[in-house]
Amino acid sequence: MTFLLVIALLLYLASAFYAIILFATKSDSQSNRLKTLITVGFVTHTAALAIDWWKLGHFPIVNPKEVSSFIAWAIMAYYLGISFRYQARALPTFLLPLVFIFTLGSLLIPAPENERPNLLEGAITANTVTQIIFPAHVTLVILSYAAFILTFVSGVMYLIQERDLKAKNFGGVFQRLPALNTCDEIGYRSLTIGFVLLTLGVATGIVWNNQRDGRYWHNDPKEVMALVTWLVYLFIIHYRLTAGWRGRRVALLSIVGFVVVLLTWLGARTLGGYHVFG
Amino acid sequence: MPIVLVGLSHKTAPVEIREQLAFSGSAINTALELIVDRQTINESVVVSTCNRVEIIAVTPREKEAIAAVSYLYQFLQEFHKTDHHLIRQHCYDYSDLAAVKHIFRVTSSLDSMVIGEPQITGQVKEAFQLAQEARSVGHHLTRLMNRAFAVAKRVRNETGIGSSAVSISFVAVELARKVFESLQGSTVMLVGAGEMAELAAKHLLNYGASRLLIANRTFENAQSLAGELGGEPVAFDDFEKRLPEADILICSTGATSYLILQDQIRRALSSRRNRPMLLIDISVPRNIDPAIADIDNAFVFDIDDLQSIAEANRSEREREAHRAESIIQLEAERFLLSHAEGDIHSVIGAFRQQAAELALAELERSRKKLGPLNSEQEEALQTMINAIVNKFTQPVIKQLRESDDGHSPYLEAWRDVYHRVIRKKE
Repeated sequence: MTFLLVIALLLYLASAFYAIILFATKSDSQSNRLKTLITVGFVTHTAALAIDWWKLGHFPIVNPKEVSSFIAWAIMAYYLGISFRYQARALPTFLLPLVFIFTLGSLLIPAPENERPNLLEGAITANTVTQIIFPAHVTLVILSYAAFILTFVSGVMYLIQERDLKAKNFGGVFQRLPALNTCDEIGYRSLTIGFVLLTLGVATGIVWNNQRDGRYWHNDPKEVMALVTWLVYLFIIHYRLTAGWRGRRVALLSIVGFVVVLLTWLGARTLGGYHVFG
Repeated sequence: MPIVLVGLSHKTAPVEIREQLAFSGSAINTALELIVDRQTINESVVVSTCNRVEIIAVTPREKEAIAAVSYLYQFLQEFHKTDHHLIRQHCYDYSDLAAVKHIFRVTSSLDSMVIGEPQITGQVKEAFQLAQEARSVGHHLTRLMNRAFAVAKRVRNETGIGSSAVSISFVAVELARKVFESLQGSTVMLVGAGEMAELAAKHLLNYGASRLLIANRTFENAQSLAGELGGEPVAFDDFEKRLPEADILICSTGATSYLILQDQIRRALSSRRNRPMLLIDISVPRNIDPAIADIDNAFVFDIDDLQSIAEANRSEREREAHRAESIIQLEAERFLLSHAEGDIHSVIGAFRQQAAELALAELERSRKKLGPLNSEQEEALQTMINAIVNKFTQPVIKQLRESDDGHSPYLEAWRDVYHRVIRKKE
């Protein structure tokens, strides 16, 4: 539903500007006005997705155009969830430009001529199990990417805040960022959520592989990279639980994790393989 | 309905003069009774704090602000039995826009000694309440003061003038909140018990810290302070053992060497599973090894850091004050515009106009039945309508003019009705 998506885009643009202004003027970025604007944008976006789903007859997440819109939606959904629990100051200022870019990307990427890539044709029209498994696989993976984006952003916020505290530099952005503990908690929470979703995403991918041609694993570049991503985040969670790693170290590692996510998501495509879409 | 103000503040008068001209709680009542004579002054609020005295008043006579101001000067002089020159030397006076702006600035804490300190808004509110109880405020000052409180809130929300700590003990709270967000459930540990450490601990407890441990070389001192603040005394030899419990450590002993060393903090952090620690050193010479700052999740600040934050915040507030000034200019102008609306003249005008419009509308309705009229008939009709409108409205207008002292329920009622008419016209 392009029209609604354009409206959502404009609302995100307005919220992004507003969030940046609030940030620049040190006003309260937890402002209710901003939250309302974001919520309206999110609801519009949700409606656009729902209409597409209904019209296409399958979940709209099979080409880069659709994935780009969905990931923007997912980031907003996480943000709204977080803002219920945390004083997530400045978070919208960092997230909204990203969300705007993804949504704009979705509008600019041309729709593929062939509505469904050949490979997926089978997946979507085949038996009911694959009909559920394939969209579930893509949705879970994209939701985990969105969670990792949040982990990444809170990691960056943590590092900026920590650097300023240690350097005793109290001007600049210092006053506008959330407390260290809050950055750390938001980061770790979204990391665990992302990890669980990625685990399920990889599992459904394996099941779908088997459904398709009886092989669980193809050593496709994307499969390998996804495994690496999974291991990086497993590593962080492991040391958090056993050795109490937190703060700076976890923030740095989650940035590393995010680079791997980007490689998996966008980079693996250039290496070929059957993961032809986003 | 000019608004006038006479006052003095820390900017214009030294403390000896402010003391002389201040009003105590009970004196304010007497003063309000004397000021509001219903001739020169209709309504008044007196604000008296240790930093300022402000007499805010409304005079019923148009264009007589100057007379009202000299009346207030006279009053101050007689009430406090002081010298005329002394008052003229240390007081300022404002009327109309300047007065409204001054009231907004004072209430928003832009005129305070420490810009942005929050007490003044509360003090002005109290003064307003006192005036309400003394029945010395009516329509005009009620609107003005409520607007002033709304403006103060807006300034506080939209600028950063009150957002940062300007005293050292508050800086400690601010730093703690940069690390922990909320102090709920956190533990504060004092090592040594200087006055400043005590004050910082009090603030931290006020902001939600739930436990206080006090270690001191003289255990009795730790015990007595613990009793006073509701903390737990810790034997000085035990403080290292208890170190892992501390989220916030404040050190202020007379020791001449480092008391808290890198290894101790490393061990403490590892048994805390790396939950961050904030270490504040207010002792000179320092008691906390500055090298601790190199450890992840340990944040160390000494007295100079705290002082420079307080200083930076003070200048930050001054910068923010410029933004607040433009809000106030705008709000003051807006207030005066809407204030004119409640003016008796516009109420009378609206009333007359509505009566005239009604009559003319009825005339138009009957035109068809009247048939074509020549110019003489037309003129006679107009004269008739004017006469009816005038005779009908005249007694009401007379009554309104007579009751215009800002307190009459009669005027208030008409004002309420015609406010809507005036609004609609705009």
